[in-house]
Amino acid sequence: MLRFLQERVNKSTKDFDARPEAERATARTESDTLAGKQARVQDLMRRLAAKLGNESAPEDGR
Amino acid sequence: MNALAASLRAVCGALALAVGALAQPPQDPKPPAPKATDAPQGQDPKKAGLATPLPPVPPMAVQNPFLPFDRATFEAACRALGATEAQLGRFGAEAADVGLARAADDLMRAVSPALAAACKRRDDGDPEAAVALAQALADAKAPALRAHARYHLARLFVDGDEPELAIRTLNDYFAHDLNVSPLDGEAAFFYAQALDDVPMPEHALPRFQAFLQWFPDASERFRAAAQQRIGELARQQESRLHELADGMQRTTRDLRKQRTGKPTQLDQEGYLEELNQLIEEFEQRESQSSGAPSGNQPSANPANQSQLPEGDGSVGELNKRPSLADRWGDMKDVDREKIAAKLQKGLPPQYQKMLEEYYKKLGKGGARK
Repeated sequence: MLRFLQERVNKSTKDFDARPEAERATARTESDTLAGKQARVQDLMRRLAAKLGNESAPEDGR
Repeated sequence: MNALAASLRAVCGALALAVGALAQPPQDPKPPAPKATDAPQGQDPKKAGLATPLPPVPPMAVQNPFLPFDRATFEAACRALGATEAQLGRFGAEAADVGLARAADDLMRAVSPALAAACKRRDDGDPEAAVALAQALADAKAPALRAHARYHLARLFVDGDEPELAIRTLNDYFAHDLNVSPLDGEAAFFYAQALDDVPMPEHALPRFQAFLQWFPDASERFRAAAQQRIGELARQQESRLHELADGMQRTTRDLRKQRTGKPTQLDQEGYLEELNQLIEEFEQRESQSSGAPSGNQPSANPANQSQLPEGDGSVGELNKRPSLADRWGDMKDVDREKIAAKLQKGLPPQYQKMLEEYYKKLGKGGARK
């Protein structure tokens, strides 16, 4: 799922970047939404990392 | 080590080494030896590929560069700036209540109306605050007043999600303003926090640790926050997944500032490659594990592909308070031009350049907090 989400953000970034400069300059809401999507992937990745870290921690301690 | 993490570490290492001599705290007897993960200077082919150039971070002082606060000297400096005995008396009483750093800052604002007005602008979310603080800093002749002005400018950058500018400002603080104000502890804390915000966790962790060690009397609020981040960062070390999340965090900040060009897209493609590699390694590990699974059985009707719930996938606006960028955007052109004019006159070139960068990013949706 993370891969799929990241793919989607990558595509949105490319689409946004392909728009004319003047149009991009006034599209702050859209760039915020784009950043929000990347933040969501980052948050999921962080949670997964923390979860896997927690699972492996007791084994390391044995 | 994956390519993304290796290139980020290489950049951090090379920059730290390159700028170290320039902004080295004066009491640092010898810079620490580079880590095995640091790249030698000038061997950083992927540096240009990063969407956000990482700010220079001098090597951390091995020896504590901070001296115990000299209250008599500070009070004498305040007297020279025009502090009255009543103000100094209030400083003494306040120090016992709210701590030396806060009390000293209140006293400094009392003796410098320009600093007080600039801080008020910042507290009110006024976009002109950066210019006002830079002007107060440029006009400050007394070292203690300069330290407070520089500290507040750095705080504005930290609070405005501009950690790179905060790091640059605090580099100057440590090079020029050390040991003249009890704000040193907070400056050290926010330096670590700015590094953490970039994120540059390998630099942030030792600086949070140094803050705790060197400032045992700092506010419990800062000490508790540092302690918490040390625990989190230590757990995240050596984790490829956390490194990947760190990279995504940087990209989130880039996107928020409308940096959507090739460097950002390359970073994003790197995340996909890294995810593919991790998935592949995970599948290999799964296939190599011996014995049949003893627990859950595979689903009789697995999904053919990953699916997402309906919706636009956005996080939504959690903080309804208008951001600095919103306020900047809502300003009339004539008011924005006034700020731009103030930028062009009266400020030393280094602040002028820094603030031009700040307002440029503000116009692109930066400084959201």
